Formats: sequence, C-alpha cells, structure tokens
Amino acid sequence: MRYWVVGEFGSGDEVKRALGRLRELGYAKETLDVFSPYPVDGVDALLELRPSPVRLFALGAGLAGAVFGYTVQWWCNAVDWPLNVGNRPPHAAPAFVPITFESMVLFASLAIFLGLMGLFRFPRPHHPLFELESFRSASTGGFWVSVTLEDAARTESVLEHLRALEARTASVVEETA
Amino acid sequence: MAEPLIVGTQSAESLTGSLLAPIHRRPGRVWWSLFFLTLGGTGLFVAAILVTLTRGIGAWGNNVPVAWAFGIIDFVWWIGFGHAGTLISAILVLFQQKWRASVNRFAEAMTLFAVMQAGLFPLLHLGRPWVFYWLIPYPSTMRVWPQFRSSLPWDVVAITTYFVVSLLFWYLGLLPDLASARDRATTRARQFWYGLFSLGWTGSARHWHHWRTGYLLLAGLATPLVLSVHTIVSFDFAIAQVPGWHSTIFPPYFVAGAIFSGLALVLTLLLPVRGPLGLGHVITERHVDILCKLMLATGMMVSYGYLQEHFFAWYSGDETELAAYAFQRSGEWAWLFRFQMLSNVLLPHLFWFSWARKNLAVVWLTSLAVDLGMWVERFTIIVPSLARDFLPSSWAHYAPTWVDLSLLGGSMCFFGFLFLLFLRFIPPVPISEVKELHHELSRAAGKGA
Repeated sequence: MRYWVVGEFGSGDEVKRALGRLRELGYAKETLDVFSPYPVDGVDALLELRPSPVRLFALGAGLAGAVFGYTVQWWCNAVDWPLNVGNRPPHAAPAFVPITFESMVLFASLAIFLGLMGLFRFPRPHHPLFELESFRSASTGGFWVSVTLEDAARTESVLEHLRALEARTASVVEETA
Repeated sequence: MAEPLIVGTQSAESLTGSLLAPIHRRPGRVWWSLFFLTLGGTGLFVAAILVTLTRGIGAWGNNVPVAWAFGIIDFVWWIGFGHAGTLISAILVLFQQKWRASVNRFAEAMTLFAVMQAGLFPLLHLGRPWVFYWLIPYPSTMRVWPQFRSSLPWDVVAITTYFVVSLLFWYLGLLPDLASARDRATTRARQFWYGLFSLGWTGSARHWHHWRTGYLLLAGLATPLVLSVHTIVSFDFAIAQVPGWHSTIFPPYFVAGAIFSGLALVLTLLLPVRGPLGLGHVITERHVDILCKLMLATGMMVSYGYLQEHFFAWYSGDETELAAYAFQRSGEWAWLFRFQMLSNVLLPHLFWFSWARKNLAVVWLTSLAVDLGMWVERFTIIVPSLARDFLPSSWAHYAPTWVDLSLLGGSMCFFGFLFLLFLRFIPPVPISEVKELHHELSRAAGKGA
C-alpha cells in the first residue's frame, strides 16, 4: 500500500520553494516529485536528478546500428554473393556510407524512444493520482508537489507541512493493488 | 521593437484552452466540404494506383529514354516538402530559437504526411511493387541480396529512417499535449482515446528530465538526417552519368531546394487555417515574417545552385552537357524553365521588402508559386536530361498520361485529407512549449520593468 500526498501550487517558483523546504524538513529525494505542465527549471537540481541514461542508450545503439548496417552490406555484396558490375570492387566502402549512416540514426532514435518508454514505465494509462479530480490541472496550468509514503500514519504530518507551505489544496491518494 | 511572439494577456490556463479549442470545436461547413473533396481525390489516387498495379507502369507516360518522369518528380517534390518541417522543429531546437514553438507541430505533421506521399512513388515506379521487399536484405530462398552499390536501396533506407525518426520525434513532442487534451476532455470517448495515446503522461519532474534529454537528442539526430536524406535523393541523379545530372553541386543544391519548398508549403498551409482555428495569438505576423526571410535565404541558395549548374556545364566544355542545359533553357520545355526562374529566383526577392512580408495575400501567393515552381524544377531536371541524352537517334518526346496526372493530383488530395484529420484531432500548436515560452517571456518582461 502506498500513499501519495499532493499539494497544488500556483507557479513553478512556489513549487521550488516548497520543494526546498521539504528537503530541509528531511524528506528523502526519492519520495518527492513535482508535476507540472512544462518542465520547471531548477527542479532537477533540487531533486538531485542524475543526467539521463538516454544519452548512453543513444550512443550504444547508434554505434551498433552503424556496425550492423556496414556489416550487412559488406557481407551481402562482398562475401556471400560478390557480383561484378562494371568491374567495380565488391567491397565498395564509399557506396556503403549512406546506409551505414542511416542505420546509425535509425537505431539510435529507436533506442531513445524505447529507452524513454522504459524509464517512464509507459504505457501506463492509469496512475493513482488520476483518481484525484483536481489533479487534471497538472497538465494544463497547475504545479503539484507529491510526497510518496508507505505509512498511513505519517500522511497527516505531510498534509500539515504542505498547508504550512501555502499549498492551494492538499490531498491524500491511496494506491490500491 | 519586433512584434510579439504571443499576442495579448495570456495565462497557462487560457493558452491551454485556446490551443485545445480547434479539437474541441465541432467541424464547420468548410471543414466538411474540404473533407469530402479530398476524400474524393483520395479515391482518384487509389484508382490510379490500381490501374498502375494491374496494367503496369505502361499506363504512365514513361518511355525509352524517359524512363523516369512523374513518378520520380513527384517523389522528390514530396520528400522535399518534408524537410522544412524537420528544419523548423529540430534544427531550431538546437539553436534555441524560441519562435519555433508555435509552428513546429504544424511543420512536423506536414513532414510526416509529405513523406508518406513521397514513399509511394518509388514503390509504384518499381514496376512490380508487390515484391518491394526484395529491396530488404533478408535470407530468401533465391539467395539474392540487394545491390547496395545502387542508389535504390539507399533510398529505401533513407525514406524509412526519415519517416520513423520524424514520427518518433513528433509523437514524443505530442505526449504532454495529448495529456492536456485528456485532462480537458469533455466526453468519455475523448478521455479514453487521448488517455490511451498519452500513454499515462503525468508531467512528473523525473519524466520531464528524461523527456528533455531524449527530445534534444532526437533533434540532434534529425538534423544531420534531414541533410543526408535529400543528399541521398540527389545521389539518385548525381551518381548517374546522364548529362545534366552528373554534378557535384547536387547534394547541397537539392537540400536547399527541399527546405525552400518546405518553407513555402508551411506558409501555404498555415495562412489559411490560422484565422479559422483561432491561432492568431500564437502564430503571429512575426512568425510569418521570419518564415518569409528564411524563404528568401534558401531561395537565394537555390538560385546559386541554378547558376552553378549552368556555369559548370559551360566550364566543362563537354558537348553533351552543354547541349543538355541549352535544351533546358530553350527546348520544348523552355516555358517551364522560365516559370521556374520567375517563381524560384525572382519572386522570393519580394521578401526583401517588409510591406511584402506583412501583406498576407502576397506571402500566400508567392509561396504557392514556389510550391509549383519547385515541382517544375524537378521536371526540368529530370525530363529534358533524359529526353535528350547522348544518342540523338533515341531522343523522344515525353507527355504524361491521365494516370500520371491523377497520381499527382490524388496524392495532393490524400495529403490534404490527412492534414484535415490532423487539424481535427491533434492540437496543432505544441501547448506545453508555448506555455513554457509564455512563462519565459513574461518573466523576462517582469525583469525588464
């Protein structure tokens, strides 16, 4: 059983102030999150987020794609079935460049997209917070701070903290199943 | 002082509301008329494709020596349109150009739909399109591999990659807006479908963090991709020895031409829908102004390409090369060449003047002329060169058939059809980016005061 204690704020700056205060109060960064209609500058630093691993996925997959693209062309045209066309060399490196480049881009892009889906754990059309009617504003104009707890007894003190930080609304959502 | 990028006093909520309005509103009479018109045109497109499939490309006007004509002209024309979309959305992300936010979704949708049209033409031109998969290296019982030293497999990989990457880039940018549409949905069905396609986007800071990195990386990959795709398209010609094609200026000149035509199409499509969809406050005169200036710049690059082509033909002293360009300038298609010079070289120079950039009718008509002029450019590159190549005894006249014309007109209708659906169901302006821009602009204004 998990509990999401959420509070709505009016702007990105208010969210950052609230987040900073919650960190001071001793909440672990893993339990905190912010929900906003566009990325709020500075939240990454407050949550101490590390650079996204997507960059590594892209690099790895891009290199693999290039090697794959070149190898396929070389193996097909120079090794398995060398065909003499106008006496041009079967292993024609310059002619293999376009496809090598394109497969690099293709592999890297797919890795970025699928990597993001993995990191987000998408598709996940349902989220416990969607039970909260007012949370709909998170994608339109509202700025939310959430604290995730395992312990029902502690929700009350978090609510108090959020109210003290002048959250417009503060609520608890229980994650079932 | 330049005109604003966002007009009026806005808030995040008001922007969300006004930018979601086009998909919430019931379509009017104009939308439905255009819908049925383009649907009918798409029917014609399907009919022309069926004729091509059953009778073969003998139904086209292609002959020997003009074995490449409408099929490849339309292909190069359509794929060129797509490139401005990628330029606007990807390259300008990297250069952190704020104005792109209002027009990028629009331009990307144009890219996707244009690439869909483009991909069909080389497929149909194969002769036996139903065995197109022979171009993919797979271990078949025939033990025959594609010939990678030919430009046809390059095209296959380039177009497929371009389509896939454009789609991923577009969809990733769309996720936060689909979530907005879900959260503002008024009916159960809308809530369900937008909820399904937004994949469960919550706007979590952790998600935004990865999203931003991923989006930027995709933009970084799409930038060299767009240059490479049209370079590869130009290789179809440049690696051949046909006089008029065998030229090293082709890759940069084709890329510039593609972006030039794409900018023209963005303006052609944007200006008529901006008012009816109520997007005048985020797609402002300043956007039109910048797009016009970009058109002027790319138009001059294209003019430089024309100049180089003819200069090098003369400088080479090669008889057939000289004859090919002389035929382009003064042969039976000289009138098309003159139209091309008028629309692609002369008309863009109107945009030196701010009255022309401000007059939307002038802008629209000029971009329409450029759209057409760029089709003509591909015609004057492809057909005259083939019709008059090395051997005078094989010179032949070329004329398109009704199937050729229906494929061209039909693909335009199919494009329009997809575009109308896009305007109906997908927020045509990236809401989250415009809100972020609005936030930054108001903060900057606040600091200045």
